[in-house]
Amino acid sequence: MIEYILMITTVLGAIIALMQRDLLKAAILTGIPGISTAFLFQFLLAPDVALTQAIVGSAIVPVFVALTVLKTRRTEEES
Amino acid sequence: MDMNVLIAVMVILPIASALFLNLLHKKDRTIKIIAIITAIVLPIIPLLTPYGSHFFGGYVPLAQDPSLAQGLPALITGSQLFQFHLGIMYVFSSAKQLMIFILGLITFFAIFTFINESKRPSGVYAFLMFMGTASVSAILLSDDIFNLFVFFEIAALAQVGIVIASGIKNNYETALKYILLGNIAGPLLLLGIVMLLGITGNVNVTDMIFTLKNGYVNPQSPELLIALALIVFGWLYASGLPPFHTIKSAVYSKALPHGSALLQAFSVFTMVAIGIIIIRLFSYNPFTNIAIIGISLIAMILGITMAIVQTDYKRILGYLAVGELGYIGIGLGLGTAFGITAGLFQAVNEAVITAFLFIGFGTILYKTRISDTRKLGGMMYVNPKVALLVLLAGLAMAGVPPLNAFQSKLMLIQASIQSGLPELGIIMILLSIVTFMTFMKAFYTIYMRPKPKELEVLDNTIPRSTVISLVVFLIVCLTLGLFPEIATNSLQTLAAGLV
Amino acid sequence: MVIDSQLMSFFTAGSLIVIGIFAALFLDNLIKKIIGLAFLGDGVNLFIITMGYKPGGIVYIFLPDMTISNFAQTAAYPLPFALVLTNIVIGASTLAVILGLVMVLNKRHGSLSAAKILRDKGE
Repeated sequence: MIEYILMITTVLGAIIALMQRDLLKAAILTGIPGISTAFLFQFLLAPDVALTQAIVGSAIVPVFVALTVLKTRRTEEES
Repeated sequence: MDMNVLIAVMVILPIASALFLNLLHKKDRTIKIIAIITAIVLPIIPLLTPYGSHFFGGYVPLAQDPSLAQGLPALITGSQLFQFHLGIMYVFSSAKQLMIFILGLITFFAIFTFINESKRPSGVYAFLMFMGTASVSAILLSDDIFNLFVFFEIAALAQVGIVIASGIKNNYETALKYILLGNIAGPLLLLGIVMLLGITGNVNVTDMIFTLKNGYVNPQSPELLIALALIVFGWLYASGLPPFHTIKSAVYSKALPHGSALLQAFSVFTMVAIGIIIIRLFSYNPFTNIAIIGISLIAMILGITMAIVQTDYKRILGYLAVGELGYIGIGLGLGTAFGITAGLFQAVNEAVITAFLFIGFGTILYKTRISDTRKLGGMMYVNPKVALLVLLAGLAMAGVPPLNAFQSKLMLIQASIQSGLPELGIIMILLSIVTFMTFMKAFYTIYMRPKPKELEVLDNTIPRSTVISLVVFLIVCLTLGLFPEIATNSLQTLAAGLV
Repeated sequence: MVIDSQLMSFFTAGSLIVIGIFAALFLDNLIKKIIGLAFLGDGVNLFIITMGYKPGGIVYIFLPDMTISNFAQTAAYPLPFALVLTNIVIGASTLAVILGLVMVLNKRHGSLSAAKILRDKGE
């Protein structure tokens, strides 16, 4: 059952992250699909990939994006 | 020692040298020496290497080494697993020898002109050039489609790096656009590769063909068609065929001349390598050939017509280079042994000629720092020798005898008539004329019309190394034009194996 | 169970890929585009992992108390997992390069809008 919840959080997390106007929030929310996919990998019998994805998807990618946001601008501009 | 190790050295040497160069900082002399030595060795290795296969980690198929299979249950030894290639495998044949030799030659002259034209040669730039060469060699050699994907990504990053390092106006924007598109095309190509893996259970092209041909999977399944479409999409991105022709020509125009010369060689050889794999895997499906011919036709027409309206000579060359890719694609798409030989021959010729043109026109950038044809003129009197060489390069591209592209374009036209598609031949002749006109227009405005008053020619002499490179390219063009058998004989074997 | 979890996982991967491509193509902000590309990579990885999954199977680690034939019949297919490990690393490193480029471009244009930065000036 837990895997269905993970699948839903993955997709919803992705959509919510992209809907933020505050880019820092978007960057940090990127970690939700990242960590959910890591747990999904564990469920799908790939523990070693899950470890890598847990680090890359939930820590490295959000931190990189967040650092870029801090160095550039925080809010999305009106086009 | 097993001589086939040299097959792996073709990829490992440039990577090792690149990584080493990257460490050196501000040690100009050491960088120069190491870069030149590596660049000299690069075209020599393929000539010394015997044909054959290299298995990484020594993982030969179990059938070739029964000692590996000892103690395994009948479940494995009794099935096809016994014949499959377990590790990454590189295959080296006469056609690949020619192509890697030409790639090595272009790398050598790119490095050679770069080191002599720039006062402070940066190790990082040489690093990017060698990484690109290594990955394109690997793409050519690899029989493992996932290994190909890894080097596809490295090649894309190296190309972006070469554009970033150029320092030309707006190069960052072009680099960002290219890498963003690459990050869409890369995962989609991977998706296509893993769909093939899911259907056939393999990433080795030879084994995939074995499973397809022997009825282990249904060749007509829709998943295979989706995989084909996704792989073709990645192929279009890597080679700069439409819809990526605009970005690819922008990439060429935002790199320094030696960089562009190398970048177009990367595109040409990546296009050939992935094109060959697509034909090997999917030639049973008539749709493949139609798609390749259709895309190539669009590339030819779009590339060459868009070149007419450009004013920046690097952009003109970029579009012409994309247009010439269409000729290669038509050769591959015809599907006959003669057609594929002609296409491969055209690929070799185009890589040489376009590098020749980029380095030749690069002398204008070196003398004036201007790339807009409207502001140029009268360059003939500045350096008539180089002007003559550039003119010959343009004639070669348009397919004037006795230069090499004449032979390959003639072969392409003959092949299209043989396959019952004379219309393609007519279009190719017409577009060759348009290419010639476009080139002559650019040549006239830059070299022959009176010099504009505000044009300032810098007081630096063109390095002798640049002139030497141009002369050597001309010699290669003449040799291949007068004795096309040198190339076609070695390309024929590969082409015959594909049909 | 009524719904096949492998099929659902494929759908999740598919939706991540679609969301990623949509964000990369249609959102204007460069950071959003990059986040979309990260999701696209995640989706492809999930797709590959799901393909190697075997319902009711075991993890592909050969322990001393297993027999080869039993292992070969029940273990998940490890080749796709090896591919994913490589792809995760490639994805992260490309991401770093793009973010670096975005930082330079923001300094030059004072903007993160793709429409402003990537507008072709006909050169």
